Amino acid sequence: MDRQHMRSPLARAMGLGSAKKGVEHWWAERVLAVALIPLTLWFVASIIAQTGSDHATFITWLRMPVTTIMMVLLLVALFHHTALGLQVVIEDYRHAGSKFAALVIMRLTCFGLATAGIIAVLHIAFGG
Amino acid sequence: MMPTSPAKRPRPLSPNIQIYRPQLTSVLSIANRISGVVLSLGAVVLVIWLLAAAAGPEAYAVVQGALASWLGQVVLFGCTFAFFLHLCGGIRHLVWDMGYGYELSLIYASGWAVVAGSVALTVLAWIASLLLGD
Amino acid sequence: MIIGSSDQVPRTTLLKRFPVPRNLGVGPESRIGRGKTWSAPAGAVRVKAFEIYRYDPDSDGNPRLDTFEVDLDDCGPMVLDALIWIKNKVDPALTFRRSCREGICGSCAMTMDGTNWLACTRFISDMAAPATVYPLANMRIIKDLVPDLTHVFAQYAMIEPWLQTRTPEPERERPQSPEERSRLDGYYECILCFCCTSGCPSHWWNGDRFLGPAALLQAYRWLADSRDEATGERLDILEDPFRLYRCHTILNCTRTCPKGLNPGKAIAEIKKMVLERRT
Repeated sequence: MDRQHMRSPLARAMGLGSAKKGVEHWWAERVLAVALIPLTLWFVASIIAQTGSDHATFITWLRMPVTTIMMVLLLVALFHHTALGLQVVIEDYRHAGSKFAALVIMRLTCFGLATAGIIAVLHIAFGG
Repeated sequence: MMPTSPAKRPRPLSPNIQIYRPQLTSVLSIANRISGVVLSLGAVVLVIWLLAAAAGPEAYAVVQGALASWLGQVVLFGCTFAFFLHLCGGIRHLVWDMGYGYELSLIYASGWAVVAGSVALTVLAWIASLLLGD
Repeated sequence: MIIGSSDQVPRTTLLKRFPVPRNLGVGPESRIGRGKTWSAPAGAVRVKAFEIYRYDPDSDGNPRLDTFEVDLDDCGPMVLDALIWIKNKVDPALTFRRSCREGICGSCAMTMDGTNWLACTRFISDMAAPATVYPLANMRIIKDLVPDLTHVFAQYAMIEPWLQTRTPEPERERPQSPEERSRLDGYYECILCFCCTSGCPSHWWNGDRFLGPAALLQAYRWLADSRDEATGERLDILEDPFRLYRCHTILNCTRTCPKGLNPGKAIAEIKKMVLERRT
C-alpha cells in the first residue's frame, strides 16, 4: 500500500503498459452483432409462428435444412457474442483474482451451452 | 498503537453514482447492458428447450408446460422486451461505431426512438403470438 | 425530452439519482455525514438553500453536507457567485478553485444538482431547491470542493500532448492547410476541466486503467493534427482493452461538456483509426 503510494502519478497511470490489443475483441463483437440482427429476427418470427405447436410439428420444422442451418448459425453467433459481451461486463465490475475465475467459468459455460445447443439441433435434424 | 494522524488518512472519494443524475445517455447504456445479461439467461432457456425437443415429446411437453405457465410467460415477456431493447440499442451503437449520430440532439432523438421502438415491437410481437396461438 | 445542447438543464427528471444504496462501494473515509445549517441573514427576502459538500483534512471528521441559506438579493446570478458570497459573508473556510469566472479556465468544475458543469456558467435560477453542490464526482478530495486532479493529469501526460515530428525542423513554421487546421475544431477548445471524465461511469469503475474522455479527446486532437508524425506510436499507446476500449459509448461526456465539445465522437474516431490499421 505504502509502496504503491510512493510511485509517481505517471508510473501509476501507466500501470502495466499498453496491451497493444483490444481491437479484435471490439470488432468481433460488432461483426457478430450485425450477423445477429437477421438471425434473431428470423428466430423470433419463427417462434411466434410456432406458438402452441406440438412436438411433431416443431421437429418437422427444425428438420427443414434452412431451419437447421439458421439455428446452428444463430447458436454460434449468439454464444460468441454473449461471451464477448459478458467478458466486458465482468472486467468492468470484478477486479483482482475473482475476475479470472469468473472469466473462466463464463467462457466454459458459453462454450458448453453452444455445443449442447448445436448437438441438440443436429440430433433432431439427422437423428432417427 | 500509534494514533493515526489526520494527514495519513486516505483522502475521501467524492460520491459518483450515489449522486450523479441519471440521464438518457447513462440510463440507456445500463439498460443495454442489463438486457444483454437477461438475454444471456434467455439463451440458457433456448438451449434447455432444444435439448428437451431432442430428448423426445415427454421432455418437450414439460418445458412447453413450464413456459406456458404464468411464471414462464412473464420470463418470456421479459426476454422479448430485453431482446428488442438490445436490438434497437445495438443498432444505435453500431451507427455510433461507424462515427455517425453524435450530435446531442441526435443522441437524444435516437435514444427515445429506441425506447418507443422496443416497447412497440414487444407489444406487436405478443399480439402476433396471441393471435397465432389461439 | 430532447436535449439539443449540453447547457440545457432539464426542468423535470424522473429520477434524481440512481436507485442504489447510499453507501454502495463507499469506503469508510468517504461516507458523508450531516453537517451544519447556516441560516440566512436577518431581513433576507429571496433566500435559496445550498447543500454543499465539506471536508476538512485537518480534522478527524468525515465529509459532511452543510446547508447554507443564500440571500439572492445580495448575490450575483451564478453558482460561483453564491459560493463567493458564502465565503465572504458566512464561512471563510469554504474552499473551492476559481479563476476566470467566464468558463475558460476550467477551475470551478463541480457536480451541481447531480451533473458536472462550471460553477461560473451555471445560473442559480437553473438549480433545484435546495441546490446541491459536490466536488467533481469520483475524485480524491483535498478540501471541500477541491479535488485532487493528479491522476487525471497523469493520464493526460500519458497521451503525450505535444507535437511530435521526425522531419528536421524547417526554416519557418510547419505548414498546415486551412482544411487540415479545421480538423482540430471541436477538439483544441478543451479546457481540461475534467467534467467529462468525472461524469463517466466507466471511469468511475476503472479509472486506474481507462484513460477517460478528457485524455482521449486530447489524444485525438494530436492524432488529427496533420503536422504530427507519431500517429502509429500514439495508437500503440492507446490500443488496450482498458485504456481505450473501456469506453462503452455511454456519452455522459458529450452530455456534460461545458464547452459543448464531443469527447464521445473523438473516441469513436480513435477506434476507427485503430481498426483501419488492422484491416
